[in-house]
Amino acid sequence: MLLFRSEEWVDKWCKRNNLERGEMLSLQQVWELSKLWYGNRMSLEYHGRSMEQVADIFKQTGLNAKFWYA
Amino acid sequence: MDDNLVWQARHFVYSHIAETTRPPRVNETAAHFGISIEEATELYKELHNHHALFLDTDEMAIRMANPFSGIPTDFKVHANGKTYFANCAWDMLGIPAALHCDAVIDAVCTESNDKIQLEIKNGEINHSPVTNHQLLIHFPLPFAQWYDDLVFT
Repeated sequence: MLLFRSEEWVDKWCKRNNLERGEMLSLQQVWELSKLWYGNRMSLEYHGRSMEQVADIFKQTGLNAKFWYA
Repeated sequence: MDDNLVWQARHFVYSHIAETTRPPRVNETAAHFGISIEEATELYKELHNHHALFLDTDEMAIRMANPFSGIPTDFKVHANGKTYFANCAWDMLGIPAALHCDAVIDAVCTESNDKIQLEIKNGEINHSPVTNHQLLIHFPLPFAQWYDDLVFT
C-alpha cells in the first residue's frame, strides 16, 4: 500500500506500472482501520484472526465494497 | 510443535522489535527460549505459515512482522525515542496503532517523490501541508489477493 499526494498521482503511478487502480482511502480512514487491525498486535493473546473478524473490521471502518471481501 | 511456544515466540519477536526496532535473528530467539537454532527456525517457519510474520526464507530472517519491516523502507516512524521502518503506507500508521503511542512519520509520495510528514498525537492524525493536495493511500489489490505476494501487496 503506497502513499500519494492526490488521485492524480495514483493514476500516473498506475499508468506507469500498467496496473488497474485499486481502492483509495484517506489517511483518516486508514488510521481508523489501523487502530482496529493493529491495536492488539503486541499482545501475547493475539493469535491472528478469523475471516469473520476481518470482515467485521472492514465493516466497522465503512469498507463495504466487494474489494474488501475474503 | 508446542502451539503455546509458537505464540510465545511471536510475542517475543514483536517485543524485541518494539524494544530494538529490528526483528530478532533466529539465534537470538533460540537463546531467549533456551532451544536449538533448528528448533527456533521451525518456530519461525510455523509463524510464517500462520501469516503471523513473513520470512525471507533464503536468509531465514524476518522480513516483515506487520506493521514492522525487517529492512529499511521509505516509511520511517519515529516513536518512543526510536525509529522504526514500516512495510507500507498502511503500516506506517499501524506502528503507532500497535504501540499505542504518539509518532512522527516521514514518508514520500510514491510517484512525485515529495516528502510528507505526518504526526499522530493523542490518537489524532495530522499532516504537514503538501500544498492543498488530498493525501491518499492506494490499496492495489483486493483483500482476497493480499497474501498471494505479500511484498507486492
